[in-house]
Amino acid sequence: MIMLETIENWALHAFADGELDVEDSKAIERLLAENAEARKALATINYQKAELHKAYDDVLNEVVPAHLMAAAQARSPRRMVPYLAMAASVAFLLIGGALGWFAAHTGNAVQIADLASRALVAHETYSVEVRHPVEVAASEQDHLQAWLSKRVGSEFKIPDLQKDGYTLLGGRLLAENDAPAGQLMYETADKQRMTIYFSANEAGNVTGMKLEQKDKLITCYWRDAKLALAVTADMPREAMVVLGSSIFAQIEGRHGTYER
Amino acid sequence: MATDFRTQLVSELPHLRRFARALCGDASLADDLVQDCVERALIKSHLYDPTKPLRAWAYTVLRNIHVSNWRRGSKFSNAKNIDDLEGLEGSVQPEQESNLSISIITQALDKLPAQQREVLVLISLEELSYREASEIIGVPIGTIMSRLSRARATLQNILEERGTTVLRRVK
Repeated sequence: MIMLETIENWALHAFADGELDVEDSKAIERLLAENAEARKALATINYQKAELHKAYDDVLNEVVPAHLMAAAQARSPRRMVPYLAMAASVAFLLIGGALGWFAAHTGNAVQIADLASRALVAHETYSVEVRHPVEVAASEQDHLQAWLSKRVGSEFKIPDLQKDGYTLLGGRLLAENDAPAGQLMYETADKQRMTIYFSANEAGNVTGMKLEQKDKLITCYWRDAKLALAVTADMPREAMVVLGSSIFAQIEGRHGTYER
Repeated sequence: MATDFRTQLVSELPHLRRFARALCGDASLADDLVQDCVERALIKSHLYDPTKPLRAWAYTVLRNIHVSNWRRGSKFSNAKNIDDLEGLEGSVQPEQESNLSISIITQALDKLPAQQREVLVLISLEELSYREASEIIGVPIGTIMSRLSRARATLQNILEERGTTVLRRVK
């Protein structure tokens, strides 16, 4: 092969692959008209393309095997990522325990469940908003952070959840009975929304993470020395265990454990 | 939205199967690769940017699994290291008993170094742009172009050698 590998002829490949603009294509057409080697090289490139299509295009017309169709349509993947599976089984154990615990400690449980239910209601109310999901958009993130920290009465840093697949949309102030609360809204690339609810932890009782579910929504909530927080989304419990742990670690600067 | 993702993924299965077949040569290994790809794609679906074509994203997932299979050295018979950038072009493997019913081009493709093969398949068969190929493989466009021109030259050398061999045997 003479023409194929010389670097000057990158343009010939680009021409064959439709990568050139009109002007450069014309230049190549002029080269082809006067240069037999270039014509031979182009013919070779196109011959290879045609042979590859002859060899592999039949696959496109084959019936896709049933097990592949099933895999692509599966509600949940056949094999869970090991850590996800582990976290999920831990969560199931803890949730079972948590329910019993709530039943036995109704007094305190009401107060804690109150946080979860406020977060769930706030999520239900605003996450479905198409035009006004947030009051202050992520473009004003610094202002949002300062404003919500001031109104809620405690310094709060907006978590960056890009690595978890969530982009900040913005946030809003919520009117609650006792004190204002804040809500941050995030979205995945396929528009699944997740909110973080936070208010001042007046009682000051620090807790680990807990989960509560309402229909398809699940919330992961906890209290630190200053804030009561809840992460809420429409997702499977095992996914919330992973996401909640990630957000907890970022906000609290340490790894959390699920409590019963 | 999630349902939509699955529907789209199903409609990409034929192309994923062709890409996998041309990448690894063997039909059943290729379908294993597609299955792994689909499972991983579902787990990672929240990372997919719906403003971009799903096909290229799914190809990236499939190609990454293929490469890590290579690195583990598992189950692939034509085990040339994908990290060997240079120098393999000349080392055409000893001729196996040739079965004329197997397409000459697929045998020739099996002899290409893996890095050249994937670029050639993405561009000459799957007809992706240089930019898409560079995003899938994670190297600059210039690297794509040099691997592509090398792949085409290597393939042609193999085809020409094979062509003369076949002719001799036919006689």
